[in-house]
Order: sequence, then C-alpha cells, then structure tokens
Amino acid sequence: MKSPNEKAVHRVVIATGISSIVTQLYTIREFLTLFEGNEFIIALIIFNWLALGGTGTLLARLYSGKKPGIDQLAMITFLLAALSPFQIILIRYLRDIVFVHGSSVGFYPTFLYTLLTISPYALLIGFVLPLSLFVIRLENPGYSGATIYIIDNIGDLTGGALFSFALVYLVSPLKALLLANLVLIAAAFLLIRRGRLAMSVAVLCAVFALSVNVFGVFVEKKTLDAGEGELVHYEETRFGRLTVKKNNGEFTLFEDGVPVYISGNLMMAEEAVHYALCQVQSPKDILAVSSVAGIMEEIDKYRPDRIDYVELDPALSAAQFRFSLLKEIPGLRVIHQDARAYLDKTTDSYDAIIMNLPEPETFQVNRFYTDEFFAVAKKRLRPFGVMGFSLKGYDNYLGEPQRQKVSSLYNTAKRHFSNIVMLPGTKIFFLCTDGIINTDIPEALRQKGIKTGYISGYFAGDITKDRREYLAGSIDDATPVNTDTDPYMMQVMFAQWFAEHQTSPVWFFVCTGTVFALYFLVITREEFVLFSTGATVMGSEVLIIFIFQILFGYIYLKIGIIVSVFLAGLLPGAFLGRRLSGKTHKVLVLTDMVLVMIMALIVVILKIGGQVFPQMLFYCIAFGISLLCGFQFPVALSLRGGDNISAVRTFSADLVGAAFGAVIISSVLIPYLGIVQATLGLIVLKTASIMVVRGSHGKDQQAGVPVR
Amino acid sequence: MEKISRREFLFASAAGAGALLVPGVLEIICPFTPALAKRPPEDIRGSVFTAGAPKELWKWSHEGFLYAKLDDKKVICGICPNACILSPGDRSVCRSRVNIDGKLYSLTYGNPCSVNVDPIEKKPLFHFLPKTSALSIAAAGCNFRCLNCQNWEISQVRPEDVRTSELFPPDVVRAAKKAGSASIAYTYSEPTTFFEYMIDTARLAKKEGIANLWISNGYINKEPLLELLSVLDAANVNLKSFSDEIYRKLNGGRLEPVLNTFRTMHERGVHFELTNLVIPG
Repeated sequence: MKSPNEKAVHRVVIATGISSIVTQLYTIREFLTLFEGNEFIIALIIFNWLALGGTGTLLARLYSGKKPGIDQLAMITFLLAALSPFQIILIRYLRDIVFVHGSSVGFYPTFLYTLLTISPYALLIGFVLPLSLFVIRLENPGYSGATIYIIDNIGDLTGGALFSFALVYLVSPLKALLLANLVLIAAAFLLIRRGRLAMSVAVLCAVFALSVNVFGVFVEKKTLDAGEGELVHYEETRFGRLTVKKNNGEFTLFEDGVPVYISGNLMMAEEAVHYALCQVQSPKDILAVSSVAGIMEEIDKYRPDRIDYVELDPALSAAQFRFSLLKEIPGLRVIHQDARAYLDKTTDSYDAIIMNLPEPETFQVNRFYTDEFFAVAKKRLRPFGVMGFSLKGYDNYLGEPQRQKVSSLYNTAKRHFSNIVMLPGTKIFFLCTDGIINTDIPEALRQKGIKTGYISGYFAGDITKDRREYLAGSIDDATPVNTDTDPYMMQVMFAQWFAEHQTSPVWFFVCTGTVFALYFLVITREEFVLFSTGATVMGSEVLIIFIFQILFGYIYLKIGIIVSVFLAGLLPGAFLGRRLSGKTHKVLVLTDMVLVMIMALIVVILKIGGQVFPQMLFYCIAFGISLLCGFQFPVALSLRGGDNISAVRTFSADLVGAAFGAVIISSVLIPYLGIVQATLGLIVLKTASIMVVRGSHGKDQQAGVPVR
Repeated sequence: MEKISRREFLFASAAGAGALLVPGVLEIICPFTPALAKRPPEDIRGSVFTAGAPKELWKWSHEGFLYAKLDDKKVICGICPNACILSPGDRSVCRSRVNIDGKLYSLTYGNPCSVNVDPIEKKPLFHFLPKTSALSIAAAGCNFRCLNCQNWEISQVRPEDVRTSELFPPDVVRAAKKAGSASIAYTYSEPTTFFEYMIDTARLAKKEGIANLWISNGYINKEPLLELLSVLDAANVNLKSFSDEIYRKLNGGRLEPVLNTFRTMHERGVHFELTNLVIPG
C-alpha cells in the first residue's frame, strides 16, 4: 500500500511531467519564432533540451548517497514552477540584447543561446525525477525505478495531450504555463505540508512561484512588442504565432517571427501573379497555394471564374483579410487545408497554379518542391496550363549553394514539364508548362489589356536577356533531383545557411561525437540498450511524422495524435516490462529484434509507396515502437541492478539517446542520406544494441557489466 | 490535519503579502526599460586574416596602388580607413588584398565575378545620363561586414571562392562600347577594394568618352579618393546611417570617413547621389 508521502511524490512527478512538456513545447515554439528556425535549428533545440535533461539526471547521482528530504523536493518543484515562465520571458527579452534586432543568427550563437537560456530549467527537470525516486526510497527502499518512470510518462502524456488538443487552441503561451504550473504548485504545496518546513515557508514559496507565473501573463504582450511599429494583432494558433504590426500606415504580418506579408508591396504581388498568368490564354480557374500581399487584386485583372486559395492556417487568412493584405474578389474560395493533401484529393483542374511558399528549410515545406509534388500538381493542371513558383532571389551573382538549389529544382520540375523558364526578379520565378512561354511579360500583358505599376515600367531594365541567360546558363544538369524521400534541397539549404554565416557544423559534430564516444566507454550494456532505445523513439517519431506528412499532408490533429501515441505506448510497455517475471538479456534482444523488424517494415512501406496503406498503420507502428521501447526500460533497469545509481544512469541513458536520435536523424541522416537510409541508420543502431547485449548471454547474474 | 499556530499564520500572511508584491517589484526592476536594455555599442569590424593569403600570386594579381612598407616586410594598406597592417602571408579585412613577400597585391585585377548591363536608374542614379545603360562590374570583397548585405555571396568571400570571368581594363571598355553603354559602373560589392582595377579601367574609359560611376559605401581614404575623382563622373554613395554606433554595430565601419567622402566629392564638384536604406521592423 502506498504511503501518504509516496502518493504526494507521485502527484509531484505527474504534475512535473505535465508542466515540463507544456514548457518544452512552448520553449521550442519561442525559439522557432525568434530564430526563424529551419529543421537544423529545431533539431538543435531538442538536442539541447534532452542532453541537458540527461545531464541533470546524471547530476542527481551526487545525491544518491545522501538523504534528500521531502522539503528539498518541494522547494525544487516550486523553483521549477517559477523557472518555467521565467525561461520564456528571458528567451524573448535577451534575444535583442544578445543579438541585433532582426538579424539572422548563425549556428553556434543559436546553439549557445538555446543551451544557456534553457540550462537552469532543463537541468533541473532532469534532476527532479531521480530525486523523487530517492525521496520515496527513503521510506520504501524496495520501490521500483520503473514505477517512477511510468508515473513520469503519465505526466508527459497528459502534458502532451493537454498542449496539442486544448491549450494551443485556447490560451496564449504564458497563460498556458500558468495553468500547467498551477497544478505543479498545488502538488508541491501538498508535498511541503508533509515535510518539516513551516506553513509560512510553504505559503511563501507557493505565492512566489504563482507570482512569477501571474507576472508572466501580465507582461506577455509587452515581451512580444520588440522593434518598431505598433502591435495591432497577436494570435497563437496551433500552427504558430501570428503578429501584425502597423508602422506609418503600413501593415506587416509576421508568421513565427518572419515578415511574410507587407502591405503595399506591389512589385512582389505583380511578379507572383502576372509572370505565370499572362502565359495562359484565358485563365478561368486558378489555384493559389498560400499568397503574398495584394495578389487578389492582380488576379482579379484576369476576371477568372474561380480562384481557389489554399491556406493551411485559418487564422492566417483571417488576419490577411482583416488587415487588407488580401482582398475579397469575385469567385474567391478559401480552402483551409494542407495544399498537398488538397491537390492529392481534389478532382478539380486549373489553368494555373501559383505557389507562394517559403524556402524548403523544413521537412514540412520541402514536400512542395519535390518530384512527387510536381507530379501531383501536373495532374491538376489543364493541358498547357502553367505552374509558377519561386525561390529566394539573388542580386548580381548566383552563389554556389543557391546555384545547386536552383539546379535541383529545375531538374526536378523538368521531369514533368517540357518547358521551364526562370526569371531573375526579386525572387527567382519558375514558370513551368507544356506550352509556350513568352518571356516578354510587358508585351504579353499589353496584349491582354492588363495594366501594371511595376512590370510595365521596370521589367525590361531588371530582367534583361543577359540576366536570364546567365541564370539559365548556371544550371547544372548533374545536380540531383529533390524527392520526398531524398530531400536534396534541404541539404543545400543547410549548406547555404552555414555559408551565409561563414561557419560549419563540423566542430559541433566533432565535439558531440567525442562526448558520445567517451560516454559509450563508460556506460554498461543495459545503458547502451536504453541509449539506442531513446534514439529510436525520438528518431522514429521524426521519421513517422515526416513520412505521414508526405503521404497524407500536414493535418494538425493527426500529427498531434502521432506525438501522443509515441508517448502513450511507453506507458503500457513499461507496465508490462515491470510485471515481466523473467527479466533477462534475451528479452532485450528479442524486443530489439522486433524493433528492427518494425523499422524494416517502414523501409518496405516506403519502397512500395505508403499511400496504399491506411493511416491507422502508421499509428500502429508508432504505438508498437513506443510500446517496445517502454517495455525495455524496466527490463534494462532491473538487469542493471535497480539501485539509485543504476536508476540515475538508466534514466540518463534514455534521455541522452533521445538527444542523439533527434540531431542525427533530423539534421544528418534524412537531409544527407534520405528517409530510407535514415531508417536503416536506426536499424544499424538497434542491431549494434543486439550485438552488445548478446555479449552478455550467460552473464545475467552479473548485471551491470560495463561495455568497456 | 495539523493546526496552524497564530504566529505561523501571521508570518505566512506577511510572507504571502510580500510575495504578492513580487510582480509589482519585478515590473519596476524589470529589464524592459530602455535604460537597462541599452548596452555599449558593439563593433563588428572584421580583422586581418592571418596567413590567409594564397601561396602564389595568380594571373589577376596587381601591386597595390597605395601602401607603405613597414618593418619585417609588413605593409599597411592605404586605400580605406581599415588601414590593414599585413605581415607576409596575411590577407586584408576586405579579403582581396594580400601581402606577398613584403609587397601588397590586389587579387581582383581583371577578374570580375559579376558583369551586367543595367539601366543607370538601377544603380541607382536618377539625375545623371537618364535612360542610358551602364556596364556594371564587380569583383569579390568588401571593407564592411553589413549584417543585411544583399550581395554577401560576393562581398563576404575571397576572390578565389567565386566564379569569375577574365576582363582586363581594355576589355571592359570594349564591352561597354559593344553594349552601347554610356557609362561603366563599379558596383555591387565594394569597388574600393578593387581600386587598381577600377582606376585603370576608369582612366581608359575616360579617354574613350565613357562615363565612370562609383557605387560605393564611401569608406575610402582621401588620397585614393582624390585620384578616383579625377576620372569619375558620378557616384552614388550609400549612407547607412547618421549614427556612428549603427555603423559599428551593423556595418563594421565608422561614420566619419563616409561623411568626409561626401565633403570631398562636394568640394571637387562631382555629381553624387545618396542612398539610405530603410529597413522596417
């Protein structure tokens, strides 16, 4: 039977899980907004978070011989509740102090900034779980480490679900943290009542933690208001943060910190619309995938019958219309859906498709620049219809990474369209068709009787024949095409980002590689299994989400379900693992083998073509991986010995492995080798785990044999 | 449940009340005030690339127009206020000038990385030879490090890192004539860094009746500027800001030399127009 103290600690562990997951997810969103995150940055933030958590867990080892009181746990919990909003405020505030407002920040400064700003909280989060275990074991020495792992997972799952399906819809980040931390403060308060500290101290600590959270809510809007202009709109949507600023009558809409729509940018609107539409004899049905400010007025000049405007985030299009960045025109139909999913399913066909998307810096956006996407888009185009899209431009010299990017995109589009012309305007505009392309845009517009402000006066001077020929002559036919499963463009985007900041990730990988190598030398076989398990859970989560997006589109709720399933599977897995009577190395080998088989199944699915399989299969795969990984934890912990030091080291191995999985899959294996090879990478890792454990056969009585 | 004593109650109440004031106190001392947010200005000025010179000179190397020899085969470049002191084997801040065995060389003589025929209005020059075209050339390198540079792919790299074409001064003049350009613009990156190439081309162009345009950040010493003005017809100088702090923080330069450039151009009666980039946000 549970003692009252045990129950109180369990409450704290669950509340910490809820608060930490909510804090983690909002922290990641915060960094993405402040650093215009590409996929590398996302992986870096997750890496830092998990690695610091693992380090914090290891630091708890220093406490293992001591007798931590329930009061100490309560004080740390209060501190966590206060640090959670403080961290978000600090991240926002220091951004423009440490870096120049509006400047792009390079890899190492981002790495250091994220590392330092989240250190106190992330270290403490890692520290608090083993500490909770030690506290319980003071009264109940036989208490299983696996149980605290299960309790923690309940908190994580609840926090994840709460964020994905409730908080993100209902409240702003600091309000969400207040709500999550209220639970934590209450749990800590109930804990301290069981300790020796005076009531007054408990009240003081609780009120302090609460005050910091309330303070966060009060200053929330103020902390967003950096830079010039008046903040006239702020909204947190499930897809990101929207803010609109007004400056001298001009509205700028920022999506996750990036200025994406600026009123009065006639040049951008005309280029986005007319280069493509003037190629079509009489464009009646037009599809716009996302938009730029002012394009509707330009499209309306063609008097089309129908304009389908696909925008993923309803809040984004609502803000565009509200601040006159887009205009309601006859025939306009706004579709709130993932554009790729829409094109996959629709039976409508179009005379022109105009794409207005950001650079392919993330897995999510890269799906719109691939061989597979062009095939789908082509199917929706009428014969001799035109597809127009653009990449970041250049002024006078096409740099090497940009040349590779343009070449890859050209070679990819060339597989589907017989005629492709690139126009070096403010951006590089690609016009793709099986018909004829007239590069004398002003003349084409004149023939249609369409008047423009920028093109008619400046096109001839800006987009000269020499400049077009220079761009066309820069194409390298040997550059690989960009596909869903081998996202070459992302590789080049990373190279360009590093070139822009005149840096290279080599030192990062050398240093972290050395740290991991040293880590492998000191961990035991069981810890290595959990390291690989942590890496597999995190790596496969990234993979499954990426594959799901490619196959079925970005559907917020379904992605949220995948994330939740990954957390949910750990629970029954760990429960079953804890109850298993014969905990042997053979069990670890068997579960590793099943994991390898599941990974192999992913490879088979990718080779066959995932669309033929139901979405449920991907949920099942996610659940299966998570279940097995959760199952391995108590088994490995039991084999490792289960004492305090063993528990600390196994908890830590899981987190460090997850950090490794996040960075290696997102920033190395997928962009540089492709999805199939990334999955094979996880198979190799798990195979290594099998080999390491098989070396322990017959040594089940000598648990905890170091790898070295 | 354990009862609370009167003393504990009073203490708890006082502590609670004190803690409730925390938001107010934090609001007061909160660092969202401009005074606390203000820090001493940074300086992002580049530094000399020690041992950054190529092992051997290449075809497009040319001895520097203005430099002084120092002890130990060191040299000091006299073109711009960066005044780079280079030991043998070093490369300048602008990346295009090196010290090879005690002599200063420019590495960008006759190898532009960008050549275009642009309307003169695109330079931008709106009041000089309007509606004509300008043959525009640039070589790699810049003496600034602007965080918002639009041409970073040629301004913040070494000449050997970009694709170039061979176009020596006579070739440039011939190309301008062939294109029907009324002027040659030294532009895009920072022409001050390819001074030798620019001045030789400008002298030839002047003889052929082709106007010379300098599109620059104006970060140049007076002596080379005067030499340039003797063959220059018009300029557009980019005044980044009227704040020295901004120059140091965003551009890696200083304001005063740029203002001196405007003064000198005005004294010499050279047509110039001024650009000031405004970045909202």
